[in-house]
Amino acid sequence: MRSDIGSKVAIVGIGRALAKKSDPEPKTPLQLGARAAVDAMRQAGIGRNQVGALFTGRTPQSYMVLQYNQSLMNELKIGPTFCSETTNHGAGALGALEVAALALDSRMIDYALVVTNEASGIWMDQVGSNASWEGDLQFEAAYGSTTPALYAQFACRYMHEYGITEEQCARVSVENRRWALDHPHAAMRSKGAISVDDVMNSRMIASPLKLLDCAVWYPGGIATAIVLTRADIARAKHEEVTYLAGFGQCSTHEWVGERMGGWGYEPMVDAPDMIRTGAGVSAIQAYEMSGLGPKDIDIVQTSAPFSFVNLMILEELGFCGRGEGGAFVDSGGVDYDGGLPFNTNGGYLSFGQVAQGLYNLTDTIDHLYGRSEGRPVKNAKVGMIHGHGGVLACHAVVIVSREQLQ
Amino acid sequence: MTGMPETQIDWSKGVPLTAGNYFMGLYQPSPETAGFWEGVANDELRIKHCRDCGRLWHPKRIVCTHCGSSDLDWKKADGRGEIYSFTEVRRAPTPAFAASVPYALGLVKLVEGVFLFTRFFGAPGTIRIGAAATVDFKVLELGQKLPVFTVGE
Ligand SMILES: [Zn+2]
Repeated sequence: MRSDIGSKVAIVGIGRALAKKSDPEPKTPLQLGARAAVDAMRQAGIGRNQVGALFTGRTPQSYMVLQYNQSLMNELKIGPTFCSETTNHGAGALGALEVAALALDSRMIDYALVVTNEASGIWMDQVGSNASWEGDLQFEAAYGSTTPALYAQFACRYMHEYGITEEQCARVSVENRRWALDHPHAAMRSKGAISVDDVMNSRMIASPLKLLDCAVWYPGGIATAIVLTRADIARAKHEEVTYLAGFGQCSTHEWVGERMGGWGYEPMVDAPDMIRTGAGVSAIQAYEMSGLGPKDIDIVQTSAPFSFVNLMILEELGFCGRGEGGAFVDSGGVDYDGGLPFNTNGGYLSFGQVAQGLYNLTDTIDHLYGRSEGRPVKNAKVGMIHGHGGVLACHAVVIVSREQLQ
Repeated sequence: MTGMPETQIDWSKGVPLTAGNYFMGLYQPSPETAGFWEGVANDELRIKHCRDCGRLWHPKRIVCTHCGSSDLDWKKADGRGEIYSFTEVRRAPTPAFAASVPYALGLVKLVEGVFLFTRFFGAPGTIRIGAAATVDFKVLELGQKLPVFTVGE
């Protein structure tokens, strides 16, 4: 059944705080999150007493406390009537928007504050720590699994079943890098352009994934805060209004090794595999809610920590048919020159893995209002943001629009 | 737990869990997997078996999602299977594994239909999708005995 919540809720305030590892005073996620939250409330023009709900993404890896939302709530001195983490890995960042939309649409609250923050690039050995987090401790990590090695299981089957080539995957790395060269905060901006040969010749990490197929960890911390309200309040009281035209979420598994025991639910209704993800289900929900289709999307951001994941997600989001991700990219589908504006800050591969998706959301909104920090996308009216977490385990898709669509 | 090789991790005391340089506490297997590790100690690969409907499952399973039963016990696996997916790891997760690279990790599909994440051993070029593989038990880098799969024997 189609939900009628599309465009009923809107973003009316944005705050961001960025820090680099090289800064003289290192910042924690809580410091960055509090800064971004106060800025978002200020931009929206709302006081502390007006924040009806606070939702955070999952606890920052670099600030491991139980119930991170409580730490942030305490710092902000707000009294929300609805306060929680939304914890389906990195997808929880966009997922928190969905929870906020439901709370607002129900009229339980008038304003929701959503905050995501991570500073693992400042405080942690991300290569080592994620290897321990992503693998099942009994059945995977003990074998020496790494994050790339777990994703490589999907790459192996995806390339095997559809004939996707390493060169096709490499082309996404190349095109993402070109966008990064224009973005002031992209981690790889100073590294210059790369070619398909550069990707193919970069050192093997976990076959078929080579160094330049892999996301770079963002060398710092990023917090992003969003204030949302109902469309009627937004129109009456706020100047810059960006509608949540559609959204969706879907989770399929937690551990790669046990995923293959799962079936009987979307998207693995008939049998398990290592190709279909929850991104497709999320996208269908978001499209149906918004009344839009892939052709209506002007700009797309993915949460894809490896080049091949971009091809899979392009298929899942409907920009090409299943198994056609390689051909789509080959035909210039995501080319910096003339293709779909895709990962316009460089994406996870060249902007850096921000671990949470709201920065990409706000970057997209910047494009809609013609104030992007990187290369502008002209006349962009509708953007799609994909978030994911776990090893292709949890997915969320959000469509944002300058116009109210329903 | 008695009678185990010295290199065997004693799960009953917990295993240090680290995330990079950070110590995150002691991890212990839960009761639903203890039987699996008892099997491994005796060079026996066990999978979960639903006593109500007969389905076979990954060793972690607590509930049979086919029939809803939680009356699961252990069945000795045949030990043969085929490679479903694999990767050759060149960059190790931690220094403990660095001397072993490259090594192959992947999913094996047992003849019973259950999939396990595992380490593959085999001559160069033999580790590929669909290759037949047989269970073996080896003490790996962390000093823990694990079921692994060998290709070409
Ligand atoms: Zn059963």
